[in-house]
Amino acid sequence: MIKGKDLKPQDMGKPHEQLTKLEKLMDLPAPYDKPGMEPSLTEPKDAWKEKFCASLDGYIGIDTLTRPTTKEEEEEQVEMFLSGLEKIFSDETNRNFIQPLLLSFEYCAKCNTCSEACHVFQASGQNELYRPIFRSEVLRRIARKHFKKGSGIVEKFIGADIDINWETIARLGELAYRCNLCRRCAQTCPLGLDNALLAREIRKIFSQEMGIAPRPLHEKGTVLQLKTGSSTGITKPALLDNIEFIEEDIEEKTGKKIKIPIDKKGADILLTHNAGEFMAWPENPAAFAILFEDAGLDWTLSSDLLGYDNVNYGIWYDDSQAKKIALQQFKVARDLGVKRIVLGECGHAHKAAAVSADRLFTGEDYIPKESFLPLLWDLIKNNKLKLDPSKNNFPVTMHDPCNVVRMMGIVQPQRDIIKAVSPQFREMTPHGVHNYCCGGGSGFAIMKSMNFSEFREKVSTRMKFKQILDAFQDTIEDPTIPKYVCAPCSNCKGAIRDILKFYKVTEKFNVHYGGLVELVVNALVDIEKPFLDFLRDD
Amino acid sequence: MLLLIFIYISILAFILTSLSVAIRFSKMPMHSRWELYPVPKEKGRSEYGGSYYEELKWYEKPREISLFGELKEMLKEMLFIKNLFVNQRQLWWLSYALHLGIYLLGLWTVMLLVGAVTEVAGMTIISDEGVTSHWWAGLVYYVTLFAGAMGAVLTALGSGGLLLRRVTMESMKKYTTGQDYFNLLFIIIVLVTGLVVWASEPTFSYGREIMKGLLTFSPISADGPLTLHIILLGLLLIYIPKSKMSHYVAKYFTFHKVLWENEPNLPGSEIDQKIKEAAGIKSGKTWAAPHFQAGGPVSKDQ
Ligand code: SF4
Ligand code: SF4
Repeated sequence: MIKGKDLKPQDMGKPHEQLTKLEKLMDLPAPYDKPGMEPSLTEPKDAWKEKFCASLDGYIGIDTLTRPTTKEEEEEQVEMFLSGLEKIFSDETNRNFIQPLLLSFEYCAKCNTCSEACHVFQASGQNELYRPIFRSEVLRRIARKHFKKGSGIVEKFIGADIDINWETIARLGELAYRCNLCRRCAQTCPLGLDNALLAREIRKIFSQEMGIAPRPLHEKGTVLQLKTGSSTGITKPALLDNIEFIEEDIEEKTGKKIKIPIDKKGADILLTHNAGEFMAWPENPAAFAILFEDAGLDWTLSSDLLGYDNVNYGIWYDDSQAKKIALQQFKVARDLGVKRIVLGECGHAHKAAAVSADRLFTGEDYIPKESFLPLLWDLIKNNKLKLDPSKNNFPVTMHDPCNVVRMMGIVQPQRDIIKAVSPQFREMTPHGVHNYCCGGGSGFAIMKSMNFSEFREKVSTRMKFKQILDAFQDTIEDPTIPKYVCAPCSNCKGAIRDILKFYKVTEKFNVHYGGLVELVVNALVDIEKPFLDFLRDD
Repeated sequence: MLLLIFIYISILAFILTSLSVAIRFSKMPMHSRWELYPVPKEKGRSEYGGSYYEELKWYEKPREISLFGELKEMLKEMLFIKNLFVNQRQLWWLSYALHLGIYLLGLWTVMLLVGAVTEVAGMTIISDEGVTSHWWAGLVYYVTLFAGAMGAVLTALGSGGLLLRRVTMESMKKYTTGQDYFNLLFIIIVLVTGLVVWASEPTFSYGREIMKGLLTFSPISADGPLTLHIILLGLLLIYIPKSKMSHYVAKYFTFHKVLWENEPNLPGSEIDQKIKEAAGIKSGKTWAAPHFQAGGPVSKDQ
């Protein structure tokens, strides 16, 4: 095992049982600066080491990357990786990304400006393994070795000095899942290069060529979604049941009798949710329904296959899966004859539908896609909703989902909204386009196999946890004051739920989390009892 | 005469190879959107990183683009290397010294050319009696001297400092290849030979003589050190656009064609047209995973 700070890209091919391990992590602010406040790190189980690739940092992110049992199988996997490598560099097989890929691949000056920006690298206590260019440099060295075969000296000169074997490749695959694809690093690169893009291309080689991707993303993600309509596995009848339950719940909580419109042909708006909301946070679709009905919008939900789940995990690891899903989602909207798709509180769905899939289809299939944020701000600005901000008189901070902010440029509307409903709002530092990822980005929020959650809680969400604690420093240690982390994105919300649980923050310090629409509904004048559960007595 | 031809070739090679890098990138297929905010051309919003998506029914409204915003950001990056200044000040000092030095050496080259034209036109810049008393001759002489001297000093400080930093800082050394060192060393060696030549003739008259040779296509006389310097400089010019030092071309694409390129695909737009064209291109090659094969299992375990 090599100490984190001594690790070099060439070590990726060396025969260590485990290349390196986490040691001293980034310090957390009070009250988590005292010993014993957070669970300690654990060791991977021996059985996992035998079956999977635990030889990187002891964590297993790809639960389908199993150790080959024969020499032939091993060689075959290496061969497949190399053929996939060739395909990302071909404009026949990688048309959509060849240009940005080559730019980021060829021009890195190794100036390390990006390292400062990466929350994973910083949170790990600056373990070399997680430096944004470590992974990119390993990919470069493998590619150079593969494409430009030369003598020993030439290889060393151009940096083709890495051993290509199964271990190197498997570790690189794992390492592609130690990056949240948040692209904060790319904002700082003086040459405009993007290490996230390279991490994503590695994920593509594994998925598109080798058929290897974390189960929660592929088999139980995109594949399930294409088959049943949703990666949650909810079917149409289950969804309808769920909506009925939501209607009852709305009446019970607010006294409002609302019939949620479903499959209404020709409606102005098709509202799409991350289907996870229906199961884990039904108060979120409920809040949307309350606000949209209050404002008198002409809207509908869809119960069609792929019409009720706006997620698209494909954008994290596989171009073709992303395309298939987007295609069907847009088709639902066109078949319903709606005028536009409005995306609810799911960050990656925003990016997938409005940005990533924007150039996949031509005019005939065009359907406008927009975020709920400008719409909601418009309703508030024009007094379509009667609000009393004093109902939200407790400290509130807001997390900016990377996909909505850094990758789509929606920054101001959510601030206008939250300031209109929350008198004690305070920003995180930094925020807006320079925010830190919640740590659940690019699939981490739903990847829970083996010990991967531990990596997420201890490392990838650590910076967000620090930001939350910093934002509440004035009241954190007073458990009588409730505090609210607003995360207008389903995945971020999941990641934040897990942080609060892992570090026992709700239990000890009365910190809660939820979306933005819930906060707005809680401020509605005509609702008697609080809408937010933690404010209710029952 | 051979030397003269070599100079022509190396200058031409520099321009043509740089151009071919640009052409190579511009001919690549249109990529999926991959923008990153702040995007400076977003009018009134670029300060905080906003975009047209903040607008209700953005697709029905005219797109407001500020070319001035984009140009301003581009110039800040070109003239001051802003991103590095903001995010890594320490390194910026060295990198900026190197780049400013190179810009000044560029100015110096132009001034040598101006001097040569002036002399061909009949006005001597400097003779044994000193700088010609005409204001123009004085201007040309001193700007050349200033640009050359400052350029050489800054480039030397920058490249030397960068090299030193690279060999002493563990976090940089690990990622540096032999070729990265070679690039820096190459610049330094050219610079050193240049300094040796300059030391023997501080007025840069030899530079104007070479320019005159180039302009009038007449042989140039060069002693040993000058010949060596010219050959090395020529080789450097040929090499730069072939190496990753050609980032002066790449940077245009990374920013303008990738990070700041957020043109939406609206019906009837140019993008829409390009997508239609691309849809006609069918490739025989595809990926090998099961879910790419028609009717195949969707995942490894099925
Ligand atoms: S900031 Fe850019 S050029 Fe510098 S090391 Fe990072 S990716 Fe490479
Ligand atoms: S994309 Fe985010 S997580 Fe990945 S290397 Fe860059 S800053 Fe780190």
